[in-house]
Amino acid sequence: MKNKKTIAVIFGGKSAEHDVSIITAHTPIIDTLLTLDEYEVIPIYITKEGLWYSEKQMNYMDYFKGDIQDKFTKLKPLQLSIGEKFSIVLSGMVSKKIDIDLVFPAMHGTYGEDGSLMGILRMANVPFVGCDMAASAVAMDKVLTKQVVSAAGLPVVRYEWLTQNVWEKDRKGFIERASVLQWPLFVKPVHLGSSIAITKVKDRSELEQALEVASHYDNKVLVEESVENLIEVTLPIMGNDILTPASIERPLNKTEFFNFEDKYLSGGKKGSDSGVNNNYSEIPANIPPDLSKEVLKLGKAVYKVLGCTGIARVDFLIDSKTNQVFVNEVNTLPGSLYHHNWKASGVSNVDLIQKLIQLAEERFAKDQKVVRTFESSLLKSL
Amino acid sequence: MRLFFSRFHPRYIRSLVYMLQASEYKAQDYLAWLHDVKDFRFVEKRKQIKWSAKTVLLVFVGLMLLISIASSGLWLIIATNLPFRHVLGAAIIILSPILLSYLILAPLTIIQLLVQKPIEFVIIYFAKKKLAEHHGVKIAIAGSYGKTSMREILKTVLSEDKEVAAPPHSYNTPLGISKFIKTLRGNEEVLIFELGEYYPGDVKRLCKLINPDIGIITGINEAHLQKFKTIEKTVQTIYELADFLGDKPLYVNGESILARDHARPNHIMYSREGVNSWRMENAHSDLSGTSFVMEKNNVPMEIRSSLLGLHQIGPLALSADLARRLGSTPSHIRAGTLKTKPFDHRLAPSVDRNGVTTLDDSYNGNPDGVKAVIAFLASLNGRRFYVTPGLVEMGSKKEEVHREIGRELARAQIEKVVLVKNSVTPFIEEGLYEEKYEGEVIWFDEALKSFAALPRITVKGDIVLLQNDWPDQYI
Repeated sequence: MKNKKTIAVIFGGKSAEHDVSIITAHTPIIDTLLTLDEYEVIPIYITKEGLWYSEKQMNYMDYFKGDIQDKFTKLKPLQLSIGEKFSIVLSGMVSKKIDIDLVFPAMHGTYGEDGSLMGILRMANVPFVGCDMAASAVAMDKVLTKQVVSAAGLPVVRYEWLTQNVWEKDRKGFIERASVLQWPLFVKPVHLGSSIAITKVKDRSELEQALEVASHYDNKVLVEESVENLIEVTLPIMGNDILTPASIERPLNKTEFFNFEDKYLSGGKKGSDSGVNNNYSEIPANIPPDLSKEVLKLGKAVYKVLGCTGIARVDFLIDSKTNQVFVNEVNTLPGSLYHHNWKASGVSNVDLIQKLIQLAEERFAKDQKVVRTFESSLLKSL
Repeated sequence: MRLFFSRFHPRYIRSLVYMLQASEYKAQDYLAWLHDVKDFRFVEKRKQIKWSAKTVLLVFVGLMLLISIASSGLWLIIATNLPFRHVLGAAIIILSPILLSYLILAPLTIIQLLVQKPIEFVIIYFAKKKLAEHHGVKIAIAGSYGKTSMREILKTVLSEDKEVAAPPHSYNTPLGISKFIKTLRGNEEVLIFELGEYYPGDVKRLCKLINPDIGIITGINEAHLQKFKTIEKTVQTIYELADFLGDKPLYVNGESILARDHARPNHIMYSREGVNSWRMENAHSDLSGTSFVMEKNNVPMEIRSSLLGLHQIGPLALSADLARRLGSTPSHIRAGTLKTKPFDHRLAPSVDRNGVTTLDDSYNGNPDGVKAVIAFLASLNGRRFYVTPGLVEMGSKKEEVHREIGRELARAQIEKVVLVKNSVTPFIEEGLYEEKYEGEVIWFDEALKSFAALPRITVKGDIVLLQNDWPDQYI
């Protein structure tokens, strides 16, 4: 019998997008891995408090429905073991050590999508799916993303940013600087995904209020110009060196911008089959061919300049009157991997998951060839 | 050994009662199933036992019987001085579940003989009497396959200008039909009956009850061969309808080789080529439906239907001809056929939110139907998935029929064949490779797992055909 590889899917975590992460982990990742029947699937769930647990039943979404807190009073948190292999150790009457061959991170937001988890996995020398630490960290910071993207000569809207320290010490000065931008403005916590705590403001008082709210959620806040005659589109991309774009997708949300509820709650309620984002977007986006071409070109360029690998989604803002396309942000772990879009683009869940695993293994193999240590006589000479 | 001791599982009696219920309390079917079961813990797979007074009583009786058998073994050991009493007693105790599986038929048979049969006799007697006085035209449909579809097409077409009644669901036994007759108001102009054939003599018995004016033989093949044992017996049983009708009109499906070869000169052949001097032209079928032009004496009649597949032309044409025979106008026939649409689980299409088209053909489990559907699938554009657990009741033709399905799929160049593991699907795989199949074969342990997996392996534009169901009694 063929020896199955063990894949750990890590989800949950100390993040505002904890619940979304549980959905992503199951639809499509774990569901598909179980369908494939080619891997031993180890679910690793991180609570909002940051404790790590693993139990076979966590492979099924039903485990997480309703109040789940009681379940963890009986369970012991797992331990990580970084030896020759990356392993988890489950406590019990007899402790059990499980070697992990590959990790599939399914965490959104802080500590997961921001490169923290990738840092652990790099140290553990285990292949993992998706973007590496640096790309994840840059993409998680909306300001850093804009700085990197604009430094590469790619278009972004005008913006200002501040830290909590500046907010506490020089809020007037910042509001003054931000007021130079073209109103209305968007106020966004820099590190939060899923459009959490994003506000559109039309004047100084609204700006001050929005900054107050945003600085509760993050220690770095972005203020940027809004794009008028807005068409918002997004482009999922897959690949390491050779990039495969999915379809350009246009959210058809009723509210002024793509908020958390549109992204997850409204779509999610309509059916569990595709999880999220299914009934409120247009795939492919009905935009002129020249704009599509521009979005595809910019998407790939952004993916490369940020050093993304595996999968990422690049969001764009288009001024439909001037036909100007701006790079908005990059998401290194799109909710539910945007599998609905991949499906519409001819990539089934099975193909998507298998391809991502293959990309992870390829990147890992390539990375292993990089020489990082060398003989040194420094210590001998002491 | 572990499988033997599955008879000692607490679910054992429930499993036996479930098997009786799923076999419709027919001893022969129950015993055939009993013979095949290896693990009695898992007989309820696709369905669950439906609790009723009868099943509760049977579970109780089963439990009492089991206790009695085991007690008798114990009694033998303790209270007698017979030689080998220990061995004998222990054997009775160990074999008590096996003895129970046969003895449970005894109370059932007693109930059937003393209660059920006399009641049925009375119901059928009064139904026959009522139907004999009914003035409606009685149409009887017999065949190994396609009876329900034929009934529904005919009912839809004729209902356009007539009062038509037909038993619902698959009421095709004397009792089922009698219950339907009881509901008749007397003003129906046409009555359509499906004749169920399970054993020789069944069709004749139903004909005596109905006394049909017009007959239809939809086709003959290996369906139910397990019960008939030989194809000759199947032909003989279905042709009991022809014997009964004598000179009265009988339509025979010319696309079914066995039905055609046994047809007599006075029978009316129907097929996609024509019926009763009607000629077909411009036949076309895709996911939106089927269309063709019927022409007789240079008078064309354009027919459109939402039914899928060119194999539907024969039944549609027959319905049109029969409607003309009963006095319907061409405009009524056109309107009637336009209303025909796929029935549940019989090549019924649906498109999900991801743009995947599913053709549910799970009630089609006969070789001719399968061949027709594969031909239809082959004519469609898109990546095509054919999902099947194989066909049941193929008896001695099991291997041949399934190899041929595999060969058909390979010739049709279906991209993905999804097979559910059981005793017949390996033959499909063999047939595929005999024809040098280049697509992908995907295996699943259970049908439900394959259904759950389909959304993960399909993409927009794919077409998924679900072919046949595999009830628990087939292993």
